[in-house]
Amino acid sequence: MLGYYLRLAFKSFRRTPGLTALMAGAIAFGIAACIVTLTVYHTMSGNPIWWKNDVLYAVTMDSWDPKGAYDAAHPQMAPDQLTYQDATYLYGSNIPRRKTLLTLVGGALSGAPDQSIPLSVLTEATTAGFFHMFDVPFEYGGPWNAVADSGPEPLIVLSREENDKLFGGADSVGRTILWNNLSFRIVGVLNRWYPQPKFYNLTGGGSGDFGRPADAYVPFRWDAILHRWPGGSMGCWGSGHIDTFEQLLNSECVWITLWVELPTAARRARFLDLMNAYWVQQHQQGRFQRPRNNHLWNVSQWLAIHGVVSSDSRLLLRLAFAFLAVCLINTVGILLAKFLRGASLSGIRRALGASRRQIFAQHLIEVALLSLVGSLLGLALGALGLLGVRAMYAHSYSDYGAAAHFDPHGILWALVLAALSTLLAGLYPAWRIGRVSPALYLKSQ
Amino acid sequence: MSLDIRPLLSALRRSPTGAILVTLQVAITLAVLVNAAFLVSQRIAQLEQPTGLDTDNTFGIMLGGVSNKFNVARAESEDLAYLRSLPGVVAATVTVGIPLTGMGSWNSELWRQPGQRGTPVATNMMNGDSRSLLSTLDVPLIAGRNFRADEILPPSPGKESPAEIILTRALAQALFPHGDALGKTVYDSASNPLTVLGVARNFMGAVGGGGDVPRYHAALLPITPGQSGFYALLVRTQPGRRDEVLRIAQQHIGASHRDGVIGQTLTLAAAKDAFEADNRNKAVFLSVVTAFMLAVCCLGIFGLTTFNVGSRTRQIGTRRAVGARRRDIVAHFMVENALILTAGALLGSVLALAVSDWLTTDYGLPRLDLAYLLAGVIVLWVIGELAAWQPARRAASIPPSVATRTV
Repeated sequence: MLGYYLRLAFKSFRRTPGLTALMAGAIAFGIAACIVTLTVYHTMSGNPIWWKNDVLYAVTMDSWDPKGAYDAAHPQMAPDQLTYQDATYLYGSNIPRRKTLLTLVGGALSGAPDQSIPLSVLTEATTAGFFHMFDVPFEYGGPWNAVADSGPEPLIVLSREENDKLFGGADSVGRTILWNNLSFRIVGVLNRWYPQPKFYNLTGGGSGDFGRPADAYVPFRWDAILHRWPGGSMGCWGSGHIDTFEQLLNSECVWITLWVELPTAARRARFLDLMNAYWVQQHQQGRFQRPRNNHLWNVSQWLAIHGVVSSDSRLLLRLAFAFLAVCLINTVGILLAKFLRGASLSGIRRALGASRRQIFAQHLIEVALLSLVGSLLGLALGALGLLGVRAMYAHSYSDYGAAAHFDPHGILWALVLAALSTLLAGLYPAWRIGRVSPALYLKSQ
Repeated sequence: MSLDIRPLLSALRRSPTGAILVTLQVAITLAVLVNAAFLVSQRIAQLEQPTGLDTDNTFGIMLGGVSNKFNVARAESEDLAYLRSLPGVVAATVTVGIPLTGMGSWNSELWRQPGQRGTPVATNMMNGDSRSLLSTLDVPLIAGRNFRADEILPPSPGKESPAEIILTRALAQALFPHGDALGKTVYDSASNPLTVLGVARNFMGAVGGGGDVPRYHAALLPITPGQSGFYALLVRTQPGRRDEVLRIAQQHIGASHRDGVIGQTLTLAAAKDAFEADNRNKAVFLSVVTAFMLAVCCLGIFGLTTFNVGSRTRQIGTRRAVGARRRDIVAHFMVENALILTAGALLGSVLALAVSDWLTTDYGLPRLDLAYLLAGVIVLWVIGELAAWQPARRAASIPPSVATRTV
């Protein structure tokens, strides 16, 4: 029966090619708009490390100015980075299973073969734990070990793109390169890694929340030894002027992110106790004059409080849905008109013995076919749309463009949505045509 | 000619489905059209704000030191001397960040009273020698004077702090709404007093696309930039010579510092483009989707009217046979369409206001100007009637003999 219905559906399409093309086109555009906005929205609201959501925690303590909050728009929030003294103290604890410190540093790489001028690179000064905690994939080699952290040893990890630029993508492990004019040995090269958003560093510094991760990674203590001023975002308060690096290390400037891995509730409780005890001690010495606000944030909470999903993307998503709704309502109307016009054919079929259900089924197959064509067209248009969005935003600083890359999940969602909604839209017309009494249409018109 | 509404209403009552579907489409389209038009006009207004800078002929080079050996002050003066010696360069200066981008941006706050009392005013800091900075940016000083050479502090001034500040006019007005800011005192976040030495014409500082700092809030402090090891060179060239000067400068400066590296080179024109891209793209997206929606809605109206004409052929033929003129037939369908459009417009207006209310509360956008609602209703009404015109005219050409046919 299915083959017969399909043939009938094709015949019906051929009878009114213009109308069919119009319907398919309208559906396709509605779906394309939804694909573009849905992909961006999904990327922006995604949790790139969802499998570790409940074991990784960002640490915040409110060391800010008693006279005003860090973020006037969110006064109950502590700063999202820590001071040097707080970060290094808490990092010294043995309670977390793994832990890592992060800060962005500017720098230059030189000394690679065929390199004419130094390359400016965004460097993450971090610890070995970073690579294990965030499941960072390696193409060659691996991360340095904890011993290298304490040295610190002059070891460096390059991103895949940086390795491509400097060594043409070859295995560069073991070679030396100059980082800020100092000799460093390459211990690892990352594979493709582009978590969206860059959940571990949402301070907006560097390349933004959706920009590329760092180009190079060095052990954290190099930052202090080389007196490298923080290259990411930094917030300071207080009356002292900070001219030397020593002053920076002792100041109330926040420029370091601390992530800890606390897999059990017991460990979390102990770590929180440690933070609270430290707070009390520092408070008595005159620091931490704001209300106590020690917090551990898991990844999804961290993403939520940073408001990573831009309100614009949500607005455009809703607009796309409104457009799809109009297209679907339109489709219902056209299908209804089309089916009722062909009611005489259905009447003859009924007279020849077809049941109501069979008429309904036949028209539903036609709707399904239309939905399929429209969805496929919509997918193609949506892919074009995503390319277009990337092109439009290629030179902009907005996060919207960076998030508009092909995301199989987003596209799958959009397709499923489109197919289902078109099918639903066609249910009413198919049902209506099934209910008409055949005798009315067999009579002379 | 009498316009009898009754046959219209009875026809609608018998098969309301088509009319309901079109009403819904019209309602949603109106709600979207009105709000989208309002949003687009907002964004266009933002795009039309002047930067206050000579974006065609200015570029910036962001530099950073790679080690402690980098002598920032010496590097800056070497670079400036080199740049000023190049033919085609009108002016060059060094500051903390590149305008229209967030690069090197340093944002802070100013208070009218010491001790951080009262509401602070957010501002972007562009430190450096105000004379060369303002002349490179091609921004005139409206009141007061520039810093003197001996008033400018080195990059790491130690215990000394600056005592003067130059504000843009918008910033001066925000701090002193009732009058002359010149000579008055403002306070920084460490409660250091700063005397307002001069007021410059408005220009956009190193603020990126978003941010909490109003676009024209910029201040100049007499400190040589480079404390963090980074500084931005800004160069204004003669018209047409920007690209060649940029190439030469980038080549020379990139190779001349052993302990420094160029982070970014950017023309203000490209920065302005990127700065505006977001607004422009959103406006384009909104306009395209709304236009498509209008098109789809018109199609729906066209389709419904055609269908109605097709299914009422006998009635039309009968009416013509008993004396109705072509005009009456056309009027019949146009009036029916008008009724549907009115219903859709009413529903759509309620929807539009609801959407606007939601946009205002959830997204912090300004309240919808009701003129847009009125204009939207009129536009949709006219377009909707036009969409039904052609099928209505075709109906009018149905011959009266149809009434007597049996097939």
